Amino acid sequence: MKKTNIDEINRNIYDIKNKDSYDFKSQKGLNKEIIEDISKQKGDPDWMKEFRLKALEIYNKLELPTWGPDISELNMDDISTYVKPKSKLNSSWEDVPDDIKKTFDNLGIPEAEKKSLAGVGAQYDSEVVYHSMKEDLIKQGVIYTDMETAVREYPEIVKKYFMKCVPVYDHKFVALHGAVWSGGSFVYVPKGVKVDIPLQSYFRLNSPESGQFEHTLIIVDEGASLHFIEGCSAPKYNKVNLHAGCVELYVKENAYLRYSTIENWSKNMLNLNTKKAIVEKGGQIDWVTGSFGSKISMLYPMSILNGEGAKTEFTGISFAGKGQNLDNGFKVVHNAPNTSSVVNAKSISKNGGKCTYRSLVRINEEAKNSKSSVSCESLMLDDISISDTIPTNDIRNDDVEFSHEAKIGKISDKTIFYLMSRGMSEEDAKAMIVRGFAYPISKELPVEYAVEMNNLINLELEGSIG
Amino acid sequence: MEKLKLNETPVRTSRNFNINNIKLENVDLPKEVQEFSNLIIKNENKDIKIDFEKDEISLKYGVGDILLENSKKLSNKNLKITIDSKQKKEAFLDFYLDETNNNLIENIEIIANENSKATIYLKYESKVKSFHNGVLKILAKESSELNIVIVNLVSLDTNNFISIDSEVLDNANLNFTIVDFGGKASVTNLYSNITGKKAENNINTIYLGKENQLIDINYIGELKGEKSNINIEVQGALKDNAKKHFKGTIDFKRGCKKAKGNENEFCTLLSDTAKSLALPMLLCSEEDVEGNHSSAAGKIGQKELFYIMSRGFNHKEAMKLIVRANFNNIIETIENIEVKNRIAYEIDNRLD
Amino acid sequence: MSKLLEIKNLFVNAGEKEILKGINLKINAGEVHVIMGPNGSGKTTTANAILNNPLYQKKSGEIIFEGENINNLKTDEIARKGIFMSFQLPEEIPGVSVTNFLKYAKSKVTGKPVKIFEFKNELKTYMDELKMNPKNMDRSLNVGFSGGEKKKNEILQLLVLNPKLAILDETDSGLDVDAIKTVSKGIEMFKTKENSVLIITHNTKILHSLKPDYVHVLVDGKIVKTGDASLAKEIEENGYEQYKK
Repeated sequence: MKKTNIDEINRNIYDIKNKDSYDFKSQKGLNKEIIEDISKQKGDPDWMKEFRLKALEIYNKLELPTWGPDISELNMDDISTYVKPKSKLNSSWEDVPDDIKKTFDNLGIPEAEKKSLAGVGAQYDSEVVYHSMKEDLIKQGVIYTDMETAVREYPEIVKKYFMKCVPVYDHKFVALHGAVWSGGSFVYVPKGVKVDIPLQSYFRLNSPESGQFEHTLIIVDEGASLHFIEGCSAPKYNKVNLHAGCVELYVKENAYLRYSTIENWSKNMLNLNTKKAIVEKGGQIDWVTGSFGSKISMLYPMSILNGEGAKTEFTGISFAGKGQNLDNGFKVVHNAPNTSSVVNAKSISKNGGKCTYRSLVRINEEAKNSKSSVSCESLMLDDISISDTIPTNDIRNDDVEFSHEAKIGKISDKTIFYLMSRGMSEEDAKAMIVRGFAYPISKELPVEYAVEMNNLINLELEGSIG
Repeated sequence: MEKLKLNETPVRTSRNFNINNIKLENVDLPKEVQEFSNLIIKNENKDIKIDFEKDEISLKYGVGDILLENSKKLSNKNLKITIDSKQKKEAFLDFYLDETNNNLIENIEIIANENSKATIYLKYESKVKSFHNGVLKILAKESSELNIVIVNLVSLDTNNFISIDSEVLDNANLNFTIVDFGGKASVTNLYSNITGKKAENNINTIYLGKENQLIDINYIGELKGEKSNINIEVQGALKDNAKKHFKGTIDFKRGCKKAKGNENEFCTLLSDTAKSLALPMLLCSEEDVEGNHSSAAGKIGQKELFYIMSRGFNHKEAMKLIVRANFNNIIETIENIEVKNRIAYEIDNRLD
Repeated sequence: MSKLLEIKNLFVNAGEKEILKGINLKINAGEVHVIMGPNGSGKTTTANAILNNPLYQKKSGEIIFEGENINNLKTDEIARKGIFMSFQLPEEIPGVSVTNFLKYAKSKVTGKPVKIFEFKNELKTYMDELKMNPKNMDRSLNVGFSGGEKKKNEILQLLVLNPKLAILDETDSGLDVDAIKTVSKGIEMFKTKENSVLIITHNTKILHSLKPDYVHVLVDGKIVKTGDASLAKEIEENGYEQYKK
C-alpha cells in the first residue's frame, strides 16, 4: 500500500501514444535523394536546399565522437528524419487536430499558456502545429514564430545568423541537423524590450523510429531581456528514436536571456543535442536545465563570452535511472576581460543509471580579470549505479580567479534516521532529501515547472526505494 | 626524432579540450646505451636490500607504449629493493646524469614486506642535455609503511619520463612525495592500485615550471579495498611560458565500501603567458563512499603580497615567500633535512 | 496514572560493543524523568534504542509504549505513535525549508493535511516564544544554524509535533545561560498532565528551571540509582565518582 498520495503523478501523460499518422514520412536512412525530398516537402528556398546538401556531405565526412557514451546502436538507416504531421500551423488551439491537441492538453500546455506564458509554440514530430504570442509583444516588435516561417519571412536575419553560432562542421550530429532540420522556434526581441513573462516551445515526438531535429534561433537585441523555456517529451517505443536539435542564442550588448529546459524524453531516445550562446559586452546568458529522460544524452550547453563584462550562469541537474546514460555538462569560453561564469551542477544516479558531468572552462589570454567558479555534486542512491565527473579546466592567463569543486556521496543514514524520527517513512525521507538536493535548480524554474520537476523526481524515486 | 603520444587519460573526454593525451614532437630516443654508472647509493641498513637484477616489469598504464618498449629493450640500470626493516629506515639513490652518462633508462622494483617501514629517496639530476626514462614498480604489502620521495632536478633541455605502477595491500600505507622541477618536458604517470582493506595512498606533489617547460602529470588511483583511502595534493607554480597539464583520476570501484578519496590541485600563475590545464576526474561505481575534488588557478593573492611587502620585503622576495608557503605542507612530509634544504634552495633559485 | 513507556531489562549493542547492560525504566503520563550519567555511559544509546536507530542493535529486553511492544517498529512508526527525540547533533538538510519540513512532518505525525495559514501562525507564535529569528522559517533546515539555533529548532519541532513522550538528548549541552532558559521555557510550554518528558544530560544546569519527578543515574550501561530531584543536586556537588566501580 502506498502511504502517500501527495505529489503523485501519472507517468501516462508522457507515455500516451497517438496512432502514427502523418501527411508524409520520409524514407528511412540518409542520402541525397532523401534530403532533396525533405527539402521539397518543406518548400525550402534554394539556399536552404543547398545548405542541407552541403551539411550532408560534411556529415558523411565527420567521425563519431571518440569519447563519451557508446552510441553504436544508432543506425541512421533505421530512422526517418522527417515526419510531417497531419496538421498545418495554427494560431488557435481550436484548429489543431483533435488527437494532437489532446496530447498537448494532457501535457498541460494550453493551460500553462493561459496562466503563465506570454507565448507558446508546439511542435509535433517534425513540424510546429501551433504558435501564438500575446498581442502587446507583437506591438513591441517581438517576433516569435516557427523556424520555417522565419526562413520565409525574415530571410536576411536568418541567413545572417542561421548556423553561424553553431557551425555545421562542429560535430557529426550538428552536420546531420543541418541536413535534416525541421521545426523549432525563432525569436527576435528588439532593442530595449523586456519580455517579462516567459515564452515556451514544447517539442513532442510521437512517431516511432524517427528523429526530431528542431532548430531554435533566438536573438535578444541590445538591452532587451527574455526568458525562454523549452520542454520535450515522447512516448516510449522499443526501438531507438533520435533527437539532434540545435539551439543558437545571440545575446547582444547588455541583453539578458534565461534559457530553461525540462527534458523528459522517453527512455529509448538518443538525445544528441547542441546548444550554444554568443554573449556580447555586458550581456548575460543563464541556463537552467533539468534532464530526466533519454536513454543516452550528450548535451553540453556552451556560453561564448565574447564581450567585455559578459556573464553566464549554468544551473543543471541530471537524474539517471535504470538503463540511462546521461552525459551532460557545460562549456564556457571566456574571450574578453572582466567576464564571469558560475556553474552549479548536480546529478543523481540510481537503479543502475549512469550520470557523467563533463565540462570545459577555458579562460583565454585576452580574458583578464575574469572569474569562474564551478561546483558539482553527485548523489549515489545505490551501489549499482555510476557517477563520473570529468571537468577540463583550461586557464591561459594569470589574472583570473578560478575554482572548481566536486563532491560524490550518498544520503547519510543519520540524516534518514533524523527524518524518520519526525514521522516520515524511509521512502519519504529519501525523497525529501533528494528534492532538497535538487532545490537550487528547481527554485530557478517557474513554479509550474518546479512542481513538474519535483513530480519527476518522485516518479523516478518510486520503485527504486522500498 | 620521435613523435610521441603520451599519458592517455583512463577515460577520454572531447578531443577539442586537448587533454586526453600529450603529443611531443622531436624527442630523441636513444638507440643504444651504455650501463649507467653515476648512481650513488646511500644505504646503511641490512634490512633494506638492494640488488642489481631485473625482473620482468609490467605496468597497467605507464607514460606510453613507445617509451615502455624503449625501457624494456635498453634499460641500463636495474634495481630491486626489498624492505624488511621494522623500524623506519632510509635509503638514498642519487642518479647523476652527465656527458658520459647522459641516458638513464632505469627499472626499479620496490617491495615493502609485511609490517616493514622505510623511506626511499630517488633523486635525478643533470646539468647537461640528457634523457631519462624511468619505470618504477612498487608493492606495499600488508601493514607496511612505505614512503617514496622522488626529486626531479634534471636540466631544462632534458626530457624526463617516469612511469610508476603501485599496489597497496591491507592496512598498508604508501606515500609519494614528488618534487617535479626539472625537464624540458617532464611527463609522469602514476597508477595506484589500492586493493587492500584500509589501504592508504597519499600522493603529494609540488611542481615548478619556468621558461618553456612542459609538465604533464597523470595520476590514476583506483580504490578497490573497503575503507581504503587516497589523497592527492598537487601544488604548483608556473612562470614565463611554462605549461602544466594535470590529470588526476580517483576511481571508486564497486566494492570499495566506505572508501574516501580527496584530490586537491592548486596552480599559481606567475606570468600572463603561463598556462594551466587540469582534468580532475572522479569516477564512481560504489554508493557508500566520499569523494571530493577541488581545483583552482590564479595569480598570487594581491592582499597577501601587499601585506608581506609592507613588512619590508621586495616583490620578488614576497612572491617567493608565498610560493614556498603554498608548498610547505608538502615539503614537510619529507623527513630528511638535507633533501628538504636542497628543495628549498631549488625553489629559491628557480624563482629568481 | 497511566503507564506510558516501560523499558524492561534492555541490552543494546553499537556494532560489536555492548553499551546498555540491562536497563529498566518506567515513565507514567505527566512525569518528568531525567537520566544523568558521565560520557559514554549509554545515555544517547538509550534514546536511540527507543527510536530504533538501525545503528544500534537490541540484544534482549523490551520497550513497551502504551502497552505495545515497539522493539521492532520502524523509526517513523514510533514517531507517529507519539515519541519525539530532540537530537544532540541535529542533521542539516539543504534545500528543505524549516516551514516545509515541519508542515510535512506534522501531516505525517497527525495523519491529517495541515492548514497552511493556521500552521504558519502557530509556527510564528512558537518562534517568538523561543526567541528565534523569523527569517529562519524560510532557511534550509539546520543549514548554517549555530549550535543554539539548532537546539531551539529541535524544541520548535517538539512544540509543533506535540508528542506524548519527549526525549531530550543533551538539549542543554553547549548552550549559554540565556539559551538554556529559553529552551526550558519551550519545554514548559510543551508539558501537560497527559504527556511526559525524558531528559538526558550529563550536567545539571537545565534542572534548575525544570523540576524532575525522577532522576536516574546511568553508569556503564546500567541504572545504578534512582531518586527524586535531590539526587541531581547531590550529583552536582559530588559528581559520578561514587557510582563508578
